[in-house]
Amino acid sequence: MNKVEIIRKYAVYTVYIILIPCFQVSFPDKLSFNGQIADLMMVFVVLVAYFYGLKDGIIVGISVGILRDCFAAPAIVGFGGSVTSSIGIGVFTMFAVSVFSASVFTMKIKRKIIFALVTLLSVTVLYKLFGHAIIFVWTKIFSQAVYSLSIKELVVDSVLTQLLLNAIAAVPLYLLIRFAGPYSKGINPKLRLQEGRGADSSWLTI
Amino acid sequence: MRRLFANKWFIIALVALFLVALIIFGAIPNSPLNKVLTPLRAVANPVQGGIKTVGTKIDDYWAAISDGVAIRKQNVELSEEIARLQHEVSKNEEAILRYEELKDAFHIKDTFSDYDIFGSSVLSREADEWFSVIRINVGKDDGLELTGNNSYAVVDTQSNLIGRVIETNNSDSKVLPLLHEGFTVNGKVNEVNGAVIIISGDASLKRKGLCLVTGIDDSVVLEVGDEIVTSGDGGLFPQGIPIGTIESVDDSDPLNIKATLKPYAKIDDLKDVFIMVPYEKEEEDSETETTESTVADEQG
Repeated sequence: MNKVEIIRKYAVYTVYIILIPCFQVSFPDKLSFNGQIADLMMVFVVLVAYFYGLKDGIIVGISVGILRDCFAAPAIVGFGGSVTSSIGIGVFTMFAVSVFSASVFTMKIKRKIIFALVTLLSVTVLYKLFGHAIIFVWTKIFSQAVYSLSIKELVVDSVLTQLLLNAIAAVPLYLLIRFAGPYSKGINPKLRLQEGRGADSSWLTI
Repeated sequence: MRRLFANKWFIIALVALFLVALIIFGAIPNSPLNKVLTPLRAVANPVQGGIKTVGTKIDDYWAAISDGVAIRKQNVELSEEIARLQHEVSKNEEAILRYEELKDAFHIKDTFSDYDIFGSSVLSREADEWFSVIRINVGKDDGLELTGNNSYAVVDTQSNLIGRVIETNNSDSKVLPLLHEGFTVNGKVNEVNGAVIIISGDASLKRKGLCLVTGIDDSVVLEVGDEIVTSGDGGLFPQGIPIGTIESVDDSDPLNIKATLKPYAKIDDLKDVFIMVPYEKEEEDSETETTESTVADEQG
């Protein structure tokens, strides 16, 4: 990579890392349906990690996670029994998302768009299920309250709605990182070399 | 050891452990870790505010253009002029609306005369189902500071309850909205000797924009449409802040009567909010500060 390409990479990542979280927390009403909000931050991290590799994914994931914690941290019942705004959950979540996305469907499968979608849907389902499970346990231990969500509500209102919204959000974000992304032609050259693929590889095809 | 640090999975595990430790220590009340993001906020807040302003302006402009489509069809020659004028009109209407909202806000000061009212704009809202804290642009620099387990009520321009302040930073504060599962407030039916009840957020109901009402005595007849206000019990919130109306009542189990409440506040459409800080607390704080400084002076 020459100097211009490196500058482009950092500049584009910086702009997207700032713009996407800011947009999500400033206009959640524009991204919401049935009580859920399209998770632009998560979709962005998944796509970057899937298409541009573990290193890019982790750096973008942690950066986006810090802004997620800074702008809209989850409120949790803390050790003292009082509700506090947490720190680190956003970073941890986005870090885990980036590691999963860069690792699971990329090992023996070429990085095809269809598998990016499969990765995104898997991450969304896991995020939702782990989230509900953790809050269920946390609510029981610290609040001694009942987590009132039924299985039907969890599946239909929470998971399925979020899957739909994230899948829709993935289309413009994919186009953005593919055609106005950090790498020219939408391909990370280092990653291609690592994976031993030539210029005519079928990487990034459907 | 070197080989271990060359292994990417070992490094990933280390980072993950570090982040888990961060979350755990961050959950301890008044943890200094919560101040880690303060320098970032100083940079991120103006940037996010700027992006929000630009987005709102684009949104206004787009709304004006789309509203003008029907008129353009009727009169092509004048369409451009109409769109421009509509844009102006919508901007002015927005300004009038904001003026009316702020005018209403002055009534809050009259109604709750024992409270100092901090006006504030909403900086950011929820990112998803769980990352749901609201940020407002008033903080310690403006004189708003939480001490101990205190919390302050947050109301909208119509003085309807929005939530409560859970954290104050230098330039912003975080508000727990009343739909959040962690939110609880004592309320009462808005009539003389009205029944006292407990209003709380609920994971299942928040999607529908409703709160859960519990603690209803079996002798109490709660009816759909009853107005609920804060009772003042518990000391965090002043008495009489409107919360909402009863949406439904489930009295199938007399020992566990439940109801749902539709809040008055439109959290999806929040722009300005007001924080209610009791004068007593401020006086106590200043007294404490005076005592502390006196002790420090004596020691010094």
